[in-house]
Amino acid sequence: MVLKDIRKRYGTFEALKGIDLAIPAGELFGFLGPNGAGKTTLIRILTGIIKPTAGQVTICGADLLTQPEAAKSRIGYVPDRPYLYEKLTPLEYFDFVAGLYALPVEQARQRGEEMLRRFALWEWREELIESFSHGMKQKVAMSASLLHDPDILVVDEPTVGLDPRSVKVVRDFFKDLVHRGKTIFLTTHTLSVAEDLCDRIGIIHHGTMVALGTMATLQQQARSPGSDLESIFLKITEEEEELPPATATSPAA
Amino acid sequence: MTASFLLIPAVQGMRRTLRKRHPKVLLALIVGGLIVALTLYYGLFRFLAHVAKAPMLGPIVGPMIGNLLVARFLEMIFLALFFMVVFSSIIAAFSSFYLDDEIRLLIASPIGITHIFWSRFILMLAESSWMVMAFFTPIFFAFASALRSPWWGYLVFLCYLGVYLLLPNILGGVLALTLSSFFPIRQMRKVFQFLSALVLAMMIIFFRFLEPEKLLNPRYFTSISSYILNLRAPTMEYFPSAWVQQASLTLFEGNLAGSLMTAWPLAATLLAGLLVLHYGAKRFYLPSWQASLEAVENQVLSLEWIRRVLILPFRGLRREHRVVAEKEVTIFLRDPAIFSQIFMMAAIVFVYGYNLAILPLKDLPSLYSGEINDSMVYFNGPFIGFILAAISMRFVFPSISLEGRAFWAVKASPLQPSRLMWVKFFFYLGPIWGLGLTLCYISNMLFKVTNPLLHWLSYVNVSLMAIVITALAIGLGALYARFDADNPLKVAGSFGGFVFMILSAVYVVNLLILQAYPLFRLYFIRFYPLTQPAAKVYIGLSFLLLIVCTIAWVYIPLRQGKEAIERYEPD
Repeated sequence: MVLKDIRKRYGTFEALKGIDLAIPAGELFGFLGPNGAGKTTLIRILTGIIKPTAGQVTICGADLLTQPEAAKSRIGYVPDRPYLYEKLTPLEYFDFVAGLYALPVEQARQRGEEMLRRFALWEWREELIESFSHGMKQKVAMSASLLHDPDILVVDEPTVGLDPRSVKVVRDFFKDLVHRGKTIFLTTHTLSVAEDLCDRIGIIHHGTMVALGTMATLQQQARSPGSDLESIFLKITEEEEELPPATATSPAA
Repeated sequence: MTASFLLIPAVQGMRRTLRKRHPKVLLALIVGGLIVALTLYYGLFRFLAHVAKAPMLGPIVGPMIGNLLVARFLEMIFLALFFMVVFSSIIAAFSSFYLDDEIRLLIASPIGITHIFWSRFILMLAESSWMVMAFFTPIFFAFASALRSPWWGYLVFLCYLGVYLLLPNILGGVLALTLSSFFPIRQMRKVFQFLSALVLAMMIIFFRFLEPEKLLNPRYFTSISSYILNLRAPTMEYFPSAWVQQASLTLFEGNLAGSLMTAWPLAATLLAGLLVLHYGAKRFYLPSWQASLEAVENQVLSLEWIRRVLILPFRGLRREHRVVAEKEVTIFLRDPAIFSQIFMMAAIVFVYGYNLAILPLKDLPSLYSGEINDSMVYFNGPFIGFILAAISMRFVFPSISLEGRAFWAVKASPLQPSRLMWVKFFFYLGPIWGLGLTLCYISNMLFKVTNPLLHWLSYVNVSLMAIVITALAIGLGALYARFDADNPLKVAGSFGGFVFMILSAVYVVNLLILQAYPLFRLYFIRFYPLTQPAAKVYIGLSFLLLIVCTIAWVYIPLRQGKEAIERYEPD
């Protein structure tokens, strides 16, 4: 996944000020930032939900703007708020999503069943999604995003609303996916999850990537050797807050 | 003060919605709305002025009985209005008092429960009454004009109408409070959605069976003369509809003091109603709201076999198109309000068929009956168009909005959102076209059409209308999509729904105008042969223009809709 000079402007407000990023296959990338920093905007751009004002997104060699079908078929997306078709059952929802990705019916059903069993939702398969809790909907959204076995999984706040057991299932599952060569782009405010799982971490602030690298690189950048991610995150975002705006927009990556 | 403060977010939201519209579009819509209102006003005024004179009964008895008829008609409208608003206010109350998301925040805040209740009541009032007020004001003004009201009578009447509309809303609010204290709120809303549609449908059918046109036809006079003598007495003397009717009639006569004296029971009832509602809110609102949190939606997956049958025809489609069509069927069948709406639409279709069946075509002079029957086919087109537009407004127009907040799943997938729009277009075109052709077949049968040109042309017209109306519904449905709305009725009753209805009517008029000249020449070809070459050119041009216009009417809204959903960025 390669992002080149991604910018997004809403009227006079510039939400993203030129993001450059390259994530190789098999990496679990953590994307952090304070509220309103531009995380969700970037995620929506790289999943093709919104278009950038400028810049280029390449997914497995396909340009997301000029070859959206090819690029999107390689991505799975789990949004932070799992809005689903409430009048469908999980299995019907999987059928629908599988159809959007033109998957064979049998493959989709087999994969759907596997995912529901993994997330302990199998006994709920005939219930309407409208009766599900937030966490259950999150699990259905995650299962649906994996039906087409994407090369890249983009996950916005994966652990919000999940019970501790499900959090563990998700973490193990992510590790398994990365082990199988899949790429994961993950945003979270649970810094322990990011520290534990991610190979590299990027920190965005005011629409600019202010830090990027492994834990060791971030510690070096924050001039805090041995610190945990929470201290690094707070230090970097506080420093950026103190800097005048012109300096704050220079990409650190 | 606090209640009005709580309304600020709703007012700001409304202002934001209005600001989003292009000023020219807004102006065009206001002008369009005014034209519709003026047409309604003028048409009814002419009708009522004619009824008020009742010329067929002579110059002395005519106006006497005519005025009584108008007065009775006015009371019937007030009565129907009352029940319509009661039911719509109960449904609006369930949403406004209990189901809207922001109530949790308000209840958790240190604001008195009665302030919260009254702010919600005002929202409910606006939701249940704005359209009724907009639609019925020109109707009532037509009554005022027919009864020669002074200019200030219109202004005072608006106050009466406001007070009168408050009463069913108060009753609706009290009923909603009472019912929700005893029954699960979500189930109640569904029951009342069904009941309101049922009552409205029954009212339409009941009113149609009264055959009010017979009151003006001397052929039926001897059999109804005794009935007319009874017109003086109000139908329900102790009901607000009779009070407001009496107060309005006195007002239209120019007697303000007398009218205000007549209106006192209305004011007293309003005051008593407000006190009862205030007490009810203080006592029952919080406990019933808390009870509504415990009521879990228990949707039973019924009608599964119908769903399986309905999705069968889509088996042959490409997989990505098939799943969209299947989802559409599934969600359609699981919408709790769907059956009440289908029932309502069936009532409209029934009334249309019944109207055709009782048309007094047999009374026509035999020399012209063939021509008149044939010309009825031409003028019947707009009626079929209206039915197709009304049905599309409820079922087709909201279909893009009903993707709801789950639309991200489509936008993130390889399926282009415009393809989803096309699938929906063809999905709904079938039933709309089928219904149009069925109505056309029935009406042609009833009219006993003799001219093959008109016979086939009626099918062509209905087909064109079905295609254009479906395209408008899908295209404008995408352009004015409200992905945050969970209720299709709200989407249908929105600004975009209004635009859709206006544009559908404009297309039908466009179709009729372009066909008028060629049809006239072709139909009367045996009397006026087409000898001038210019006439042939005009006929050719008219049909060519019709084809070009129809293509534009399909292409432009779908194009606009496509661009809108591609531009759409979820919150």
